[in-house]
Amino acid sequence: MSTLATLRNHCHWKAAGLLVPGLLLCTALPASADRIERHFKVEAHPVVTIHNPNGTVTVRAWTKSDVMVIAKRATTEVEVDAEQTGNRVDVQTRQVADTASPEDLRTDFEISVPEDAELQIHNDSGGVNVSNVLGDMNVETIAAGVDLEDTAGYLTVKTVGGAFQCLRCAGRLEVSSISGNFKLIDLRSYYVRAQTSEGNILFNGSFLPNATYVLKNYSGAIEVRFSPGDSFDLSATSLKGKVHNEANLTPSSHHHFIPRFGNALFGSYNSGRARVELNSFDGTINILKRN
Amino acid sequence: MSTIGCNEFLKQFAAWMEGERAPDARAHVRECARCRGLVEDMDAIRQTAGAWAAEEVDPPARVWVSLRAQLEQQGLIHREVHAEEPSRTERPRSWFAGIFTVVPRPALAGAYLLALIAGSFALTGPSAKQLNESRWISGTQDSTGTMSAQLQTAERDSISAMAGSDPVVTASLHDNLAIVDNYIALCEKSVREEPENEIARDYLYDAYEQKADLLAQMTERGVNGR
Repeated sequence: MSTLATLRNHCHWKAAGLLVPGLLLCTALPASADRIERHFKVEAHPVVTIHNPNGTVTVRAWTKSDVMVIAKRATTEVEVDAEQTGNRVDVQTRQVADTASPEDLRTDFEISVPEDAELQIHNDSGGVNVSNVLGDMNVETIAAGVDLEDTAGYLTVKTVGGAFQCLRCAGRLEVSSISGNFKLIDLRSYYVRAQTSEGNILFNGSFLPNATYVLKNYSGAIEVRFSPGDSFDLSATSLKGKVHNEANLTPSSHHHFIPRFGNALFGSYNSGRARVELNSFDGTINILKRN
Repeated sequence: MSTIGCNEFLKQFAAWMEGERAPDARAHVRECARCRGLVEDMDAIRQTAGAWAAEEVDPPARVWVSLRAQLEQQGLIHREVHAEEPSRTERPRSWFAGIFTVVPRPALAGAYLLALIAGSFALTGPSAKQLNESRWISGTQDSTGTMSAQLQTAERDSISAMAGSDPVVTASLHDNLAIVDNYIALCEKSVREEPENEIARDYLYDAYEQKADLLAQMTERGVNGR
């Protein structure tokens, strides 16, 4: 390995503390580079932005006060820029040559951040995986799927066609898509708003007391699975589709707007502590017992 | 005859919006439909933004004019009911200069479309519930007509802007645009069949909003060369 490559792969900027304002820029890598590693020393609640049009983005929390960026790029037609400004780290890929094909531009990122980091991720195609990060998060993709696991904070996710899965997410969750399917598993969120046009939505987990869940689509299926111990006030309306219900509902003490059109179902399960709204244009809504 | 291209014009665009209009830039705007459309959109956004600055969300002035005309035509209001004062749409130049430097053009274009939709939806408030079916249909068609035309223009621009972008991303955007168009058609059909169905109209408006958002994303991808 050349000296330059060795330096590149072990480029640590731990000495570049936050008291030193300015820009840390690592670009202009030699043509042979395919793996790039960078380290940035950060304080509490750092902001990390990742802009990677093509390739996967994997973000994990660790216990260090560092942000570590490992980039694996397909070719040297794409450049990786990573810079720190104060307590913010910006990572992005940049096309070097106009003649490069999309595959040439593919870059996969593995990024480790403190668990209280705030993330902003843009990824058109590839995929986004985030686990154990507890800060606020904004993820936007086109075709890329998004998987979140054990995350918290204010989570906003927007895809065009990418699927979304959230496992044990807490905090507040807002997700929207046009054709992406959603899987919301064992959430601990007190507010969930999920809207997809053509995709299916699966909610499988407990309804937290005083939490709000709003699930909406145009077509496809909305499936909600409940446990005997859950307590929720339900409003389910499908304008053109059907509503199947296995919950033993009692008339709700809450006022509901009764629509004149479509198939609607209202009522409380147990004491009705959580608020659940399910809406579809011509999709099927299933309220099923949890296995 | 223009001596500059689109890229060069875009470099001068901030100055253009501040009133500095070089002869070459003027010539380019006259000859380039895309840049002319951009200028028109930004002018409309500038008007809308004044209302935002006053912490009230209002659609562009021309939407108010259109709405007032429709409401008058339907007998819901009379001539003496005035729209917002024009002075509200006038704002210091510095405000716009500030926002222009931080908000990308496609985002502003999308914001404009969304503002247009919001304005159009104002027609469908509680007062409209008393209308008979024909008025419901007429009102909905009128309220969606403007935005539908705007979206068609935006769609043409967005699709041309996407040329040369990542084929996977382009295909996904086109596929999803078709999905949204299909829902718009389904919702319009539903509204025609059941004019008083408020839920159908809500879904229709949501679909229009989705389309505006999607077109803004397509334009952004195209402008960014991805």
